[in-house]
Order: sequence, then C-alpha cells, then structure tokens
Amino acid sequence: MSFREKSAWVTLIAILLVFALFVSHAPRLSHPGGRDFHTLLACIAAFVVIETVAYFVLRLRYPEDARTPIDEREQLINLKATRLASVCYVIGSFLAVMTLHHGASAVVIGYLVVLAFVIAEIVKYAARIVYYRRGV
Amino acid sequence: MGATIISNRIRQLRFENGEMTQQQLGQRIGVTRQTINAIELGKYSPSLEAAFRIAEVFGVPLEQVFQYKSDQGSA
Repeated sequence: MSFREKSAWVTLIAILLVFALFVSHAPRLSHPGGRDFHTLLACIAAFVVIETVAYFVLRLRYPEDARTPIDEREQLINLKATRLASVCYVIGSFLAVMTLHHGASAVVIGYLVVLAFVIAEIVKYAARIVYYRRGV
Repeated sequence: MGATIISNRIRQLRFENGEMTQQQLGQRIGVTRQTINAIELGKYSPSLEAAFRIAEVFGVPLEQVFQYKSDQGSA
C-alpha cells in the first residue's frame, strides 16, 4: 500500500469519525448561532488535529515513501476521484437549495450544504482508495 | 476504434538487468513502486514520457518494452 493510499484511508476514517461525532452531538438544527454551530467548529478543529497527528505519524513511520513526489498515476487517481466528488457536491448543494421550496430555514439549508460537502469528501477519498486498489 | 491492449516486458527486462526491483525502477523514472506494479500488470498505461524513460533505463527501443495490439488485428 502506497503512502498516499494510507493517507487516503486516514482522511476517510477521520471524516467518518468526525461526522459521526457531529451527528451525535447535533440532533437539532433549529438553533442558529447556538450550540450546533459550536459543535460544528469543534468538529472542524477535531478533524484538523486528527489529520495533522495522523499525517506526522505516517511520515515518521514511512519517511522515504512520504518524500516521494506524486507521480502521474496518482495525479490521475486524484483527478478522477475529485471529478466524482464535484458531481456529488453540485447535486447535493442543488438539492439543499431546493429544500427552500419546502419551507426549510437558512440554517437547515446551510447544514445540508455542509452535509453535501462531507458526502462529497467521503466519495472522493473512497474513490481514491478504490482506484489505488484497482491500479487506476 | 476498437478496444486496445498494451502489453509489456518490464518484468522480464528487470530480471535481465540484474534483478532490478520495482522500487529501483520506480526511483529511476520518478514514479512509485505501486505504479510500476500497475504498469507491469497492465492495469495502467504510462504516459509516453514515462514509457520512453523505462525504455531508456533498460537501454532498448520502446517497442521492445511495450507492444500494442488492437482488437482489429495487427500489432
């Protein structure tokens, strides 16, 4: 398994963990500027910390792999995964805005856009892992 | 245009060149060991530049490393 595939695994697991943390701590989305927003900020901070620590641990364990510059196959994998993720994000954001016609508040729409972003990121890193496993 | 198959002799050429490892070949052409493995297994077709670099490492013409076949016949 290459260094970048390991990194993709770490990021995917970190996103899923932090997303689960957010969902479990923010069951209600009806308090603008309240605890939910603080939970969101705390989750973002937790994600940054987990990613940073995990990245440095990976770098320490696999220093030579970490120094290897990204090659053409890895660039292709990143591009293909990003393309899939961007489609998910556009569709998700569009559906979030459409909820306006069903009486959703601005806060709910905002959280739905965040949800679309999180799902798009999950798709991106999952797709990277699949492409790494398949070769491309 | 039909489906194409690009085969290669990288594995054989590595062993004919002092049992060079995938890691060593990857370092010489600037790609990861996993990418060399994907090329050898036919899962990934390298760029023209990478293909020329591989041929240069082994000191052989490109067509001795990669072979092209289409489903419509000749190589």
